[in-house]
Amino acid sequence: MLERFIQELRTDDPGAETPAVTRERLKGRFAPGTTRRMTLLGMLVGAVLGDVTLSGEETLVYASTFGEGRALEDYLASFPAASPTLFQTSVHPSGVQQGLIGRQRSVKELFPHAGGGQLVVQALLTAMLAPGPDAVLTGGEERGTWLMETGAVSDRTFAYAMRLSREPGPRPLGRLELTQEVSTGSLAHPAWFERLHGRQPFDGTAGDGWRLKLIWL
Amino acid sequence: MQTRAVYSSRRDAVRLAAWGCLTALGDAAGTCAALVRGERALRAVPVLGREGGDPVPLALLPDRALDETAPPSWLATVKSRFALVREPGWGGPRRPVFVTSSNFGVGCLYAHRRGGDPAFLPFGALPRCVEWLRRELGWGGNVAVCSHACVSAHLGLLQASRLIQAGLADEALVFSFDFVSPFVSGGFHALKILNADFPAPYQARAAGSIGLGDGSAFAVLTRDHGDFAILAQSLHNEMHHSTANRPDGAGFTACLAPVAEAADGRRLWLKGHGTGTIEAGRLEAGACVRLFPGAPLVGWKGSLGHTLGSCGLVELALAAEAMHAGRTPGTVGSVAPVVAETVAIESFANGGYDGVVCASNAFGGAHAAFLLSHA
Repeated sequence: MLERFIQELRTDDPGAETPAVTRERLKGRFAPGTTRRMTLLGMLVGAVLGDVTLSGEETLVYASTFGEGRALEDYLASFPAASPTLFQTSVHPSGVQQGLIGRQRSVKELFPHAGGGQLVVQALLTAMLAPGPDAVLTGGEERGTWLMETGAVSDRTFAYAMRLSREPGPRPLGRLELTQEVSTGSLAHPAWFERLHGRQPFDGTAGDGWRLKLIWL
Repeated sequence: MQTRAVYSSRRDAVRLAAWGCLTALGDAAGTCAALVRGERALRAVPVLGREGGDPVPLALLPDRALDETAPPSWLATVKSRFALVREPGWGGPRRPVFVTSSNFGVGCLYAHRRGGDPAFLPFGALPRCVEWLRRELGWGGNVAVCSHACVSAHLGLLQASRLIQAGLADEALVFSFDFVSPFVSGGFHALKILNADFPAPYQARAAGSIGLGDGSAFAVLTRDHGDFAILAQSLHNEMHHSTANRPDGAGFTACLAPVAEAADGRRLWLKGHGTGTIEAGRLEAGACVRLFPGAPLVGWKGSLGHTLGSCGLVELALAAEAMHAGRTPGTVGSVAPVVAETVAIESFANGGYDGVVCASNAFGGAHAAFLLSHA
């Protein structure tokens, strides 16, 4: 069994906020002039990650099923005069890189995961197998527009960041246990976010072959 | 700025039990032999395929057009050439699969956007593309997806290694695929580094350029069997600029220094990232000269093009094949003068070497490298 303790957690659920309102709410979190080219997901992930201790020496894991949905949509729409900025911004894992580049924060190991049903458990597994005493797991999605009907972008927006440690320390927020077992199933990214945002426990199959326990302390 | 090797000794190393790749020049053995002969797979192709545009250097699979088909035509080639990845049991609890790519099925989204054909949609969205691939190749559900632009394959190798080292997997399959489409060629063309000029990695010339290529590859990692061992893996992410490296080359050093330390006196040759851009090539070659004095440096993207997120795995397969065959292909597409005296333009016998360091770079100043040695 792999075990890690949640030491810090930040979540952001914009709910019915429009992207413009979310951007306005978050822009003060970044250096003046740096947000103009940032995506909504880049701002959300950058903001929650900015609230979590990050030395740069620990492994940073990034989870996003779809990544930069709106940049992808806008880049596709820019053809035949392809936009260089939108191309670069649409490439996974731009969402986590934007804020770190703005802050000039190098990191040793960055593990971006993508994909569907196994995303959450695989990102957790990467964080829990990281060699150092701590790891940071961050993730999020941004709601798309015209590509939503194709299933190529997310239908909701959220972001989270959490610092995990091997040792419990004096005041852990929660405990994560990952156990190998013969099972099939998945814990979808939005469902995982809801567990974090609402501090709800979880005990069940999180991915094929893996059982996850999330206990709030 | 510090990073470190994953392994400190052979005791921790993982073995490379099997490998394979698919490029415009054929399978691993065929590609390696063609590179030794100095063959260049890149050809001038309109950047937007049937919609035209400037001719740019692309190395596509034989008989594959730049424009995507539905279903993607490359799957049949992958299925016919990579029998091992279709063996039963992959994706089971103890035999995880790591899928790595920077493109996935995005060429199908482009095709859908331009033509409106809904037949492309089952392959365009990233989760649907991976699920389609999983079903077609007969894998179980234990499939991880790593996507970090052009170092994607390295992350699959590293995470697969960690599962094996932790005793959570008996063996792991890392599978990577990147097939060029107007989506990606149009993007690099817009960035102005994909243009009419053919790439010449590490050549001292006034302006740089890259080529793009189709690439797919696999590697099977195990704890205890296989002719080669991955002795060290290292990552570093500069986060200095979205498309440029720190001008002092510190990012290259931070990634390669732990690998040099792990080399522990072994005689090595180097397979660099070497896309053909001027500044990155100069910085990479400089770091290689400092950290691996005298080690010959080669790059193969002047022939195969940049196979993007799959380049780390494609070039691992070619490096293993070169060590197996006893001859390392030179830096095809480049001529003197070069940016460092250790750049090897011509192929050379590698029997006197203990191993090879393979390095890749990506957007955001991402660096990745590993040390492959005879087991």
